Amino acid sequence: MLNVVYAMFYRQMRRFFRAKSRLIGTILTPLFFFLFFGMGFRAMNVRFLGMDYATFIAPGIIVMTCFTSSFIGGVSVIWDKEFGFLKEVLIAPAPRSYAILGRVIGDSLTSTFQAFMMLLLILLIVKINLEGIFPTLIVCFITSLAFNSLGVAIASSVRSMEGFHLITNLLMFPLIFLSGAFYPVPDKYKIIFYMNPLTYSVDLARYFTTGISLIEPFFDFIVIIASSIAFLLLATLMFERIE
Amino acid sequence: MAIVVKNLVKTFDGIKALNGVSFRVKRGEIFGFLGPNGAGKTTTIKILTTLMKPTEGEAYVAGYDVVEDAVEVRKRIGIVFQDCSVDKYLSGWENLYIHGLIYGLKGDLLRKRIEESLKFIGLIEFKDVEVRKYSGGMMRRLEIARALMHKPEILFLDEPTLGLDPQTRAKIWEFIESLRGDVTVFLTTHYIDEAENCDRIAIIDHGEIVAIGKPEDLKRRIGGDLIYVKPNDYRLAKAINADVKVTRDYVIINVNDASKILPEIFEIANSVGVRIEEIKYTRPTLNDVFLYYTGREIRDA
Repeated sequence: MLNVVYAMFYRQMRRFFRAKSRLIGTILTPLFFFLFFGMGFRAMNVRFLGMDYATFIAPGIIVMTCFTSSFIGGVSVIWDKEFGFLKEVLIAPAPRSYAILGRVIGDSLTSTFQAFMMLLLILLIVKINLEGIFPTLIVCFITSLAFNSLGVAIASSVRSMEGFHLITNLLMFPLIFLSGAFYPVPDKYKIIFYMNPLTYSVDLARYFTTGISLIEPFFDFIVIIASSIAFLLLATLMFERIE
Repeated sequence: MAIVVKNLVKTFDGIKALNGVSFRVKRGEIFGFLGPNGAGKTTTIKILTTLMKPTEGEAYVAGYDVVEDAVEVRKRIGIVFQDCSVDKYLSGWENLYIHGLIYGLKGDLLRKRIEESLKFIGLIEFKDVEVRKYSGGMMRRLEIARALMHKPEILFLDEPTLGLDPQTRAKIWEFIESLRGDVTVFLTTHYIDEAENCDRIAIIDHGEIVAIGKPEDLKRRIGGDLIYVKPNDYRLAKAINADVKVTRDYVIINVNDASKILPEIFEIANSVGVRIEEIKYTRPTLNDVFLYYTGREIRDA
């Protein structure tokens, strides 16, 4: 059964590295956020948690890169439905959950790769803990597993591309801005802050890159693992229902 | 038996797409499903390939129940869908590589099979080209290569030559013919000439099989000659004491020897006062068989 996981993994990787515009496209938005917000507010001497603003948002930007890329990456299920390749997967002599697993792992690795490119760019501008780079990438990978699964779940249950983009756009910005990536979330919204799975990814990435965190890092880790398992199960469930 | 289908019914929102379809396909034969669009061909193929569950009835493919043992069925079949299902952003080789992996092939055997399949279908020199740069015919050939590379017992082809030019159609049929005897082929078509190439065909209309058998037998069954008469009054049909069928355009009379009967028809028409506007006769073709059983030309349906 591992062969099916590998087949789908191979396919997602091949497609990704062939579509060079996509490689750069998804990295552009977070990069602009970093340059215009990060550098702008740093120049105005804005500081949070004892860090200058660019350093403060660096981990958030890295997580945002893999988050948006993996979440929107779920749309490929709709493309496959539209252009027929999905049928090849649906008639495979293996449980669909394996195909989903391969697909999600492949997409998550490519998202992590994008986060890594962002991290290298950020390194040119701000100082982050070098020994924290690898653990941060692990955080990115687990985060991508969670949100690519959520994207696949949404893509499997909507009929159109528009429906998918409506739902993801509706979720994306609230999730990012209420995760503590760009500013400490005000007390008023703390409930949402703690319910947001992205909060724990940002916090853990900040812990590894700067040594500062708001939540116990081990707890962060447990939450992101748990949410990626939960979303993966959801993705499988929704994907099984495609006729 | 490669395929056994018993009383298959499929209902969509209360509308019966299949209404009690039963048939058997022998090992190694090329079996064709002939019918107009919407007759239930694709629904049947979807049920047989486990993509859809029947509302009622049973179907066994390669000895396994399509509902209970879907995975066992899937291992033993190859499918070419009506519309493209290859990944256009990957090369031909990569498409086959992924397919092979999914069907449990690996290593040298997988690479060997890919080479063989691409050579068989004549695409070896385009193996590294992205599929979106292929022509329609090349894409279809790639799909056939893919459907065969895991050596299925039964190959399903849903309208394999739809939208292709005559030369490419002929080429696709060469590949299908070369499988005769080795692989069981189940195909759907609404091209009469393709149905002629099949060992046996079933004519399906409005979700029911109206005739089944070898093309020659079906033609023989409707008799020697068919006379098509277009009278100005359909009273003529009642006056003729023979095997008569009335369709929208013609009164069709099934006779042994048309040349002898033609004068009689004019006499009868005269005696009941009906004028004949047009008359012709043919040796029956499958098109006539279709017309005879469904009352329509396959083109109008």
